[in-house]
Amino acid sequence: MKTTIAALLLGVALPAQTVDFGKAYSFAERAPRTQTERAIDALLPSIVKIHGASGLQTISAFASGVLVTAQGHVLTIDQIMLQPGRTRVVLYDGSVHEAQLLPPDDRLGVRLLKIDPKLVTAELRPLWPAAPTPFRTGQFVVSLGNCFRLAEFSEKVSATFGVVVGRADTALRYRMTNVAYDGDVILTDACNNPGHQGGGLFALDGRWLGLNMKLLESKETNTMLSAAIPVADLLPYLDEQVHGKPRPSPVAKTEPAWFGVQLFEQAGRQSPPAYVERVVAGSPAATLGLRNDDLIVRFDEFSIRTCREYRDVLARFRPGQRIKVMWKRGTEVMNGEVDLVAEPRR
Amino acid sequence: MNGARAASAWLVVVTMLAAQDPIAAARADEAARVAVIARCSPAVCSVMAMDAPGGGSGVVIDPAGFVLTNYHVVGEPDKEHVLPSPPKPPDAELAAYRAEGARTDADVAAWTKAWQQRWREEHHPRGVRHYRNKKIGMPDGLLYEAVVLGIDPGSDLAVLRLLPKRPGQTWPSCELGDSDQLLVGETVFAMGNPFLLATDFTPTVTFGIVSGTHRYQEGQGQRVLVYPDCIQIDAPVNPGNSGGPLFNAAGEVVGINGRISIGDRGRVNVGVGFAIASNQIRNFLADLLAGRHTEHGTLDMSAWFMAAAKDENKRRGVYVQQLFRDSVASLAGIGLGDEITRFDGVEVRSANQLATLVGVLPAGAWVTVWHRPVAPEGGFGDERRVTVRLSALDTGSSMDGGGENARLASRAERRVATRAVTSRWRTDNEDAPAVAWSAVAPDGSTHRAVLAGQRLRVERGATVLVDLGDGTGFVVEGERVREPTADESERLRRERLCNPVLWPRATRQDRLRDALLVGGVHVHGAPAYRFALPGDGECEAWFFADGEPAGCTFRDPLRRAKVERHVRGEQVRFVVDGKLEPGWSGGPRTSGAVDEAWFRRQP
Repeated sequence: MKTTIAALLLGVALPAQTVDFGKAYSFAERAPRTQTERAIDALLPSIVKIHGASGLQTISAFASGVLVTAQGHVLTIDQIMLQPGRTRVVLYDGSVHEAQLLPPDDRLGVRLLKIDPKLVTAELRPLWPAAPTPFRTGQFVVSLGNCFRLAEFSEKVSATFGVVVGRADTALRYRMTNVAYDGDVILTDACNNPGHQGGGLFALDGRWLGLNMKLLESKETNTMLSAAIPVADLLPYLDEQVHGKPRPSPVAKTEPAWFGVQLFEQAGRQSPPAYVERVVAGSPAATLGLRNDDLIVRFDEFSIRTCREYRDVLARFRPGQRIKVMWKRGTEVMNGEVDLVAEPRR
Repeated sequence: MNGARAASAWLVVVTMLAAQDPIAAARADEAARVAVIARCSPAVCSVMAMDAPGGGSGVVIDPAGFVLTNYHVVGEPDKEHVLPSPPKPPDAELAAYRAEGARTDADVAAWTKAWQQRWREEHHPRGVRHYRNKKIGMPDGLLYEAVVLGIDPGSDLAVLRLLPKRPGQTWPSCELGDSDQLLVGETVFAMGNPFLLATDFTPTVTFGIVSGTHRYQEGQGQRVLVYPDCIQIDAPVNPGNSGGPLFNAAGEVVGINGRISIGDRGRVNVGVGFAIASNQIRNFLADLLAGRHTEHGTLDMSAWFMAAAKDENKRRGVYVQQLFRDSVASLAGIGLGDEITRFDGVEVRSANQLATLVGVLPAGAWVTVWHRPVAPEGGFGDERRVTVRLSALDTGSSMDGGGENARLASRAERRVATRAVTSRWRTDNEDAPAVAWSAVAPDGSTHRAVLAGQRLRVERGATVLVDLGDGTGFVVEGERVREPTADESERLRRERLCNPVLWPRATRQDRLRDALLVGGVHVHGAPAYRFALPGDGECEAWFFADGEPAGCTFRDPLRRAKVERHVRGEQVRFVVDGKLEPGWSGGPRTSGAVDEAWFRRQP
């Protein structure tokens, strides 16, 4: 009788005994199909997560970086959290590596880190900027970075999509205190959030266009912008640090303009009006005839209400520029015009 | 759906023609996008409370009007019962009752009271607490009343049902897609009613890419509103989008948009939105449709990730950090400090990932955990494999611990849900003359059941029970043939009643006509629906969403135990009185020719 039942189940082999309950879940991924998917898939192994010193509420202790050499160089935005001995780089395979800090570039506001490639078991997939990498307004881009520290260890960093909105010059720096870089930047609407800085901005064919900056933030208008430093501008610094090449044309750090007054700033007060406390002899201020207790109210078309605004507005000008100055002495409003100079060295 | 398929086929052709011309390709892309949006938008709705400002979004996932949304959109149930009073009995029924004989007024009053009690049982949920009705605005511009059927505070889901304005009304609906197929960079659409902008309820559509998959986002306060496996998107999601669907480019619902990460700019979009993955939703959908407050599974332990690059002795891995002594994990032999290597066959690479793997599963799911115990001499022992049933996570919600009987949906709503689930099954009749299933017990004996027409044969090792379907039957025990005992007849009756493997495909929907959807069960890694069969309430037949049998549970009079049978493909498991019986291996369900010898009285 058993044989007849077996006939019913003919051709069926009973599987080996297991206690598996099937795969509840699959972390396996399908192959990329579209251009965007392929580009992101190819680029993700080159983006690293960076963790640094924390402790202060206002400082986020995480960022992103781009692996630029097989020797373990990682490029990122220079920031306070990058402290010697407390900076760790997490590669795409989830491995965590102590990073050494190389000298930063103050003008670009970027810094190279270095991990020991001998301790890395995964294949390193570096990206080196190809120069020049032209970009156009309206061009589609993807931005990669670990915003809000959403990805940990081997989890993939976030990808956002958008277009190049435009190129902007240093005028952006007006009242943006968190930006060191004073060259042209790529503006994009691909979302950039805390932690995304140091990640890369890429064209859909995978070309590296820029290094994500911190969110540009204007306290005055309460607006924020996503921007990236064009990679072509990063090349001299990378060549210098990685290959030891002297910079072909070292860009002198732009010297700030100097007016030559010391303002009266009471301790504890956030932003007192810009009263002059002392005028340096031979300075543009002295040339105009400013005196103690004068109140500076205007440089060109920018009104100055506080000492802080005085400094911010002055930062817009360069030595050699001629500006109109308006100040008050008692109830009298005075005007004058003067050439700004660089601060004389002592 | 056929129209949609034809449209997409047409678009493929257009795309191929356009391959040479980028402008034409872009136009074809746009046309495809517009077509998908036009097809999906009629199913996207606005969910609002009856008497409170604000609201969220939702999506109809079944033509019967089942709407998926966020738990935080429907909120907590009201504290008091606000249940409608029963109506008067219909005149026709009263007249029929009067016609049966002489009725006094007292008789009629008693009959009316009984009728109204039955009405209450039918129309009122049995839960301790109750939701006031919600309002749902559909893109047709109409405002519908809706009832909350099931809630999942643990991972922020809820299911509502639209109440029809006319009998038999159906609504445009969308299918759930496969969220595991999503890849970073894939285009997605979010739809909903952000800021309640659309007063005519036409949805707002936003476009973006998948920014990340399998993200774990912690809950708020207690263990509620956890997003254990979410899809990160850069399509703008704003307040009011909550509960709205996330569509893939093919127009399938791959997620429910529920939360956003915010910067310093207040509670608005910064390009980081999260959607609950559709594959996680599937695991809880049966419970939600059955009117339940879902329970999430837990191992009652927490793990942490240790990463060491310098010290070669320390491995990188996920280690048990905290463990309740009476937890399922601890009872199965997992100890503090053990390394967790795999979970249900998936290699565990981070503590986050383990939280994702556990978090998407309902309570009661059987899982396999591979771990390396801490060795007394230092280091770790060999990899061990344990099988545990996830216990229920205490979410701290006021609806916790309601159990099987606490339900938010009335029997009438659950009957609609039952019909909605079964009506999706294939009904074409491909049934062979006989159906059979078999399994090999731990002792090596074979257990089989064969149904041919009305005749049923159940083989338990050396014992064979046969029911000829005409009220007679016999038992073969070795060389002996005898009449079945009462227990054996009952056993045959239950096999016939409960075992859906033996139900011909064409009859499945009919057989479940009087059954009621009672919830979900996880069978071999896949979600299935449990249907309580009429009778003593101890028989349940289980089916996967596509109508394939998933198993059953009944009280076995011969074993004097409650037996759960889990069947998927060629896998079979038995759970007897809540304990897993290891060592069973499954045989397939097969159909073939009938051998008359099976049903002959012979040893």
